[in-house]
Amino acid sequence: MVLISSEQGESMRVMPSRYSGVQAAVGADLFKHVSGSRVLMVGAGGIGCELLKNLVMSGFGEIEVVDLDTIDLSNLNRQFLFQHRHIGKAKAHVAKESALGFNPDAKIKSHHASIYEAQFDQAWFKSFDLVLNALDNLAARRHVNAMCLAANVPLIESEIDTVLRLRWQTQSKDISRLYNSKHPKRPDTLHRVGQKLFVQLFGKPEDEEETINEEQTSDNAKEMAHLLHEKEALKRLREAAGTPEYGKLVFEKVFTDDVKGLLVMEDLWKNRRPPTPLNFAEATSDPSVTSTPADELAWDRKVWSIEENTRVFLDSLHELAVDFIEQQKRDPEFSMSFDKDDLAALNFVTATANLRAEVYGLEKKSRFAVKEMAGNIIPAVATTNAIIAGLIVMTAIKVLAGEWSSCKNTWVARNINPERLDKPNPSCAVCTINSYTLAINTESASLGDLLEMVVKGSPGESPTSGLGIQGEIAIQEGERLLYDVEFDDNLDMSLSELGIRHATRVMITNENDDDETGNSNVSVILYIEHRDEFGMPAKPFFTLDGDRTLVPRPRAPSAAPDPPKATSTATNNKRPAVLIDSDLGGNKRQKQENGNGDGVMHILDEDDTVLLIE
Amino acid sequence: MVNPICQARLAEERKQWRKDHPFGFWAKPTKNTDNTLNLNKWDVGIPGKPNTSWENGVYPLTMTFPEDYPQKPPKLQFPPKFFHPNIYPSGTVCLSILDEDKDWKPSITIKQILLGIQDLLDDPNLDSPAQQDAYVMLKRDKPGYVRKVRQQAKEYTPKDQ
Repeated sequence: MVLISSEQGESMRVMPSRYSGVQAAVGADLFKHVSGSRVLMVGAGGIGCELLKNLVMSGFGEIEVVDLDTIDLSNLNRQFLFQHRHIGKAKAHVAKESALGFNPDAKIKSHHASIYEAQFDQAWFKSFDLVLNALDNLAARRHVNAMCLAANVPLIESEIDTVLRLRWQTQSKDISRLYNSKHPKRPDTLHRVGQKLFVQLFGKPEDEEETINEEQTSDNAKEMAHLLHEKEALKRLREAAGTPEYGKLVFEKVFTDDVKGLLVMEDLWKNRRPPTPLNFAEATSDPSVTSTPADELAWDRKVWSIEENTRVFLDSLHELAVDFIEQQKRDPEFSMSFDKDDLAALNFVTATANLRAEVYGLEKKSRFAVKEMAGNIIPAVATTNAIIAGLIVMTAIKVLAGEWSSCKNTWVARNINPERLDKPNPSCAVCTINSYTLAINTESASLGDLLEMVVKGSPGESPTSGLGIQGEIAIQEGERLLYDVEFDDNLDMSLSELGIRHATRVMITNENDDDETGNSNVSVILYIEHRDEFGMPAKPFFTLDGDRTLVPRPRAPSAAPDPPKATSTATNNKRPAVLIDSDLGGNKRQKQENGNGDGVMHILDEDDTVLLIE
Repeated sequence: MVNPICQARLAEERKQWRKDHPFGFWAKPTKNTDNTLNLNKWDVGIPGKPNTSWENGVYPLTMTFPEDYPQKPPKLQFPPKFFHPNIYPSGTVCLSILDEDKDWKPSITIKQILLGIQDLLDDPNLDSPAQQDAYVMLKRDKPGYVRKVRQQAKEYTPKDQ
């Protein structure tokens, strides 16, 4: 048996190596590939913990781990590299330490940092053979995808869909109905009404405006609009805090008077059940109802009656108000924000949500369920994570072997479903972006230089040739527009004055009206690499890496009504993406081929439907 | 963070708008403090249609694009308390093509949105009220409603006219 590490050589020689299983499975040659590889794992959470353990146990050579997060109590049920004593510590570092316990020979470098940081630039991405995403949010997926596309490094994407997890976890019909039904007001947003009222009573005035705006696209907005309309009344309510009538005043304002106000708009209720205002006297008619039950655990999971909800509402409101007034004496600017772990706040939000549900004839929820929703807690299944992490490693080995044809998109529901990789999509809005690394002196080069020399400069294959882009050009950085035909104020500014520094991404788009085919309309992202020495005598002004064949952008939306959708003639021969996820398949992500035939895999979120995983 | 699809589309929309936009309308990105333009937040003016009680007014809005635009619609907001049955008290416009759960499609252009809002001004949808004042008044006191709309049109008539 061949040994990989010599540190413990003597003792290991008599025993089979920890890698003997992998070696037997993949063969000695491929295992050499694996043990010589450098892989990046982004995210050390649910999937990441499983995956890191698998990677070190399978003998992957060098592993870098990036995670921004610290460890929470709620992580421990599935992120098993973490223990109670690690709470508050950096996930990346603890994951590394724990994984080293599985295999002390593993070479792991951990970064407690955001993947967006400038240190993780193109050069760094290019140093890996393979990137593995184990992320929980779309924005970061998008970023890593773009970085991998530009660096031409294979990416294996994975995700756990929240809906599926809930279904798996509970196996309960009412939860799946909760997510499937097209009820005018989805119960899963109900808790927000409670959080909103919390902010209105105890939060900062600006928070209040913000949270209300957020909701305005949803149906809740109708009620919330009304609440906003009555802002003045609420202000008066805030002033009544602490008085004995306070609870009754708030209750009647929110659950009686406001509802009556909404009933006036009778057209609102033509096609839906009109709300029923609550009666304070009735809701408080039973004096034996208590909000401090003997059995907390049962109470947490029970759906409270109207009387119980009212009691909890009044008691928690009082408790919060007393605290609020007390704190405001010390600091007039004091405000509260909702914290799912603050019992009074959670009680208040639960009771408000349920009383609201009563008004609108919706399903009420236990405090446990509300906490889960209000705290955005996703009850994850450790087994699903484990299956997916296993599939990722198998796919990673295929990628290192160059076995593209045997790679699969796989989704896991009640069983494991491999699917063929999707065909290239020539109108993909992501992989038709042309990426280059632009090395330039950001201190001395101006925006005008960038425009004239790099963007418009005469094209060619040399690193110092320009891109030869013509027509109406726009230059952007993030949401900032730096230049276009109508806005040339900044051309004399240096790049660094405009906030363009090392690792900044600059986007160039053009529209060439002289070319009716639209094939010279392109989108380009320049990854800036700052070079102090550039622009000096005998040094180049800039260099651009990458293939100079520009892929056209998919056809733009025309101003004509209902234009035919993107029928681009783009001939980008992009290659397969691999996506490993647990998804019921109903949420079709756009999976996209990419690249130039050298076997790179990417997952792309197209403008279609994208799962939000948060 | 930065979504290149959103960026490219906004640059595109700006070009299209410059080449072709309906008479009397305006739409431009706001200026950042660092002398660049903010493509995610535009100032917009929509003229009331001639021969309606909205005429002569040019109504200001802000148009805010989420990071997931064009997958998600922009948000359009009049000044707070703008008088119209389908405008929330905060000024936010309630329109099916601006609702991602209803009729929003990524192919809808800025021009189409603004024309849609111009239509909405004089053709409110009473099935979907968003504010009480204008809704109740339109239902119960049409002449009073028209007076109020004309009054508002005067407030928003550009000074140089």
